[in-house]
Amino acid sequence: MGVILQAEGLSKTFRLSAKQQKLQKTKEKVIKAVDDLSFEANEGEIFGLLGPNGAGKTTTLRILATLIKADSGEATIDGASIRTQPEIVRSKIGFLTSELKLEDFFTPNYLFDFFAKLHHIDAAKSSQRKEELFKKFGVDEFAEVKVSNLSTGMKQKASLVISIVHDPNIIIFDEPTNGLDVLTAKVVTDFLIELREQGKTIIVSTHIFSLVEKICDRVGIIINGKMAVCDTLKSLVSDKPLEDVFFDIYSQEVGDTL
Amino acid sequence: MKKKSNILTVTKKEIARFVGDKRMIMMILLPAVMIYVMYSFMGSAFTNLFSVDDEYSPIAYTVNLPRPFIPMLEATGLEIIEASDRDVIQIKEYISKKQGELLLVFPENFIEIINDYNVQTSMVPAPNVEIYFNSSDINSAGAFNNIILILDNYEASLVNKFDINRGILNADLVTADDLSASIMSMMMPMLLLMFLYSGCASLAPESIAGEKERGTLATLLVTPLKRSELAIGKILSLGLLSLLSGFVTALATILSLPKLMGDAAEFMDTGIYNATDYLLLACVILSTVLLLVTLISIMSAFAKTVKETTAVVTPLMIVIMLIGLSGMFSSTVPDSLYFLIPLYGSVQSMSGIFSMSYSTINIALSCAGNLLLAFIGAFVLTKMFNSEKVMFSK
Repeated sequence: MGVILQAEGLSKTFRLSAKQQKLQKTKEKVIKAVDDLSFEANEGEIFGLLGPNGAGKTTTLRILATLIKADSGEATIDGASIRTQPEIVRSKIGFLTSELKLEDFFTPNYLFDFFAKLHHIDAAKSSQRKEELFKKFGVDEFAEVKVSNLSTGMKQKASLVISIVHDPNIIIFDEPTNGLDVLTAKVVTDFLIELREQGKTIIVSTHIFSLVEKICDRVGIIINGKMAVCDTLKSLVSDKPLEDVFFDIYSQEVGDTL
Repeated sequence: MKKKSNILTVTKKEIARFVGDKRMIMMILLPAVMIYVMYSFMGSAFTNLFSVDDEYSPIAYTVNLPRPFIPMLEATGLEIIEASDRDVIQIKEYISKKQGELLLVFPENFIEIINDYNVQTSMVPAPNVEIYFNSSDINSAGAFNNIILILDNYEASLVNKFDINRGILNADLVTADDLSASIMSMMMPMLLLMFLYSGCASLAPESIAGEKERGTLATLLVTPLKRSELAIGKILSLGLLSLLSGFVTALATILSLPKLMGDAAEFMDTGIYNATDYLLLACVILSTVLLLVTLISIMSAFAKTVKETTAVVTPLMIVIMLIGLSGMFSSTVPDSLYFLIPLYGSVQSMSGIFSMSYSTINIALSCAGNLLLAFIGAFVLTKMFNSEKVMFSK
């Protein structure tokens, strides 16, 4: 298994508006969301970024997806640099987050075709892939229903299918089961495992310990923008549950006991 | 215990809500600023509309002009050309074609006749002075007003011993085509610009700020789609739809004008223009729409929500209205370089096309000015789509 994703020294600061300063009860004008973060992900593994809210997980994934630029540091995804080759990076990854939405006016069928065209997939291949994915996730049952009329679970399924329209080798999911009912959440986690079996690399961010324990091969724990620990799940949870391990690390890093 | 009324509590909360929202305060202040700017502009525009070119000496053809009148007429800046009765028909044609400004026909021996004329006892009508002009020519209309003022004063000093244009129904030698062109050139540039702006302003915010607000724009940004492709694709589609919207509104207006204007609508004949005129108009409209869509798209990308876009585009709307009014009130054709000014050039070009007195070079310059700024705007929009501050700021 070779390294397919390598992030080195990623840092990102955000300027705080007066409103945000007030909200976060700070006089600091900037906040360091990601601080010198480095990690690797290998081919065919599920890598979990675990951390509390505001730890920098989403920012890290957004940097990797080239939605935002890192202040410093570099990452390469399947050989393409996020700094100099963002379009190539975007063609190699599938990115799914609850913040990215599908246009309400269109149907999953239309949107699948639209995104397939954006990824320059020929019509025959796109049609075949659509049939496979729609059937697998049950999207074919509501393929011609406008997104505005779909339930949250249906929307998530449609978004998932569309995010991997181009059959990417690396899939980045930000909180993949957030807000989903247990049935849809199971469909998603089963699919992540299936993707791994197909040799795909999956990066997931989450704060749900059970999800990490169920699907991840390796885990990176982010606290206050820094990578506190990065190791295999087996090594981390050799003698106690992940939840306990996490809070031990958290206490060490923050200097606070919970 | 009697409970206190909550009217004050509700009132306080409403005022706190209002005072704390800069946008709402802007919405209150903006109309005041708009009124001041618009009225100031319209005042100077009206002055400009009714003032003749100071450096130009209108030509007044005169028949039997009495000598004492010569210095009075020359004092108004007229260049006097003596003519005879035989030339009257030809001179009227000149004026109709805007090759001369005025024709003044006095009765022979005018001074002697009015000296001998007695208003109370005379059995014949008072001597009559005929003055012909062309209302579609600003210099002719201006010169006519000046002459009427002088002769009215003179007539009053003589206790109405002569008449002006008695029984003359066609003293205004404007042709039907010129009248149509004059009315159309005054109204249509402003109307068209506003229609095009409305079309763009109703579509672009939804397409850009709306997509940002709903999170669907970010979904596009994680695909290999180039930001420039996204910007140009948006501008072209919005341009096309805005054009359609503007066309439908313009058509509805043209069709409803006869009902709105009654008899006056007969002077708004669109049949006086040929295919070239319409083609040039289409070029001006197309370049204008592309520019408007680009400008509104940039403002829309800058705003966080559709609602905020409405506030952000208000200054642009004021500028558009002022530029539209400039076409309504301008009486002279500006230098060619002015046509390069985006939107202003469009209005001047449309005004020229509707008044049938345009230069193709000026129209090309106005289209070039619009397209150049639209191109720069597309570049700016591409940069904005690349900017995380613009795309993801909360």
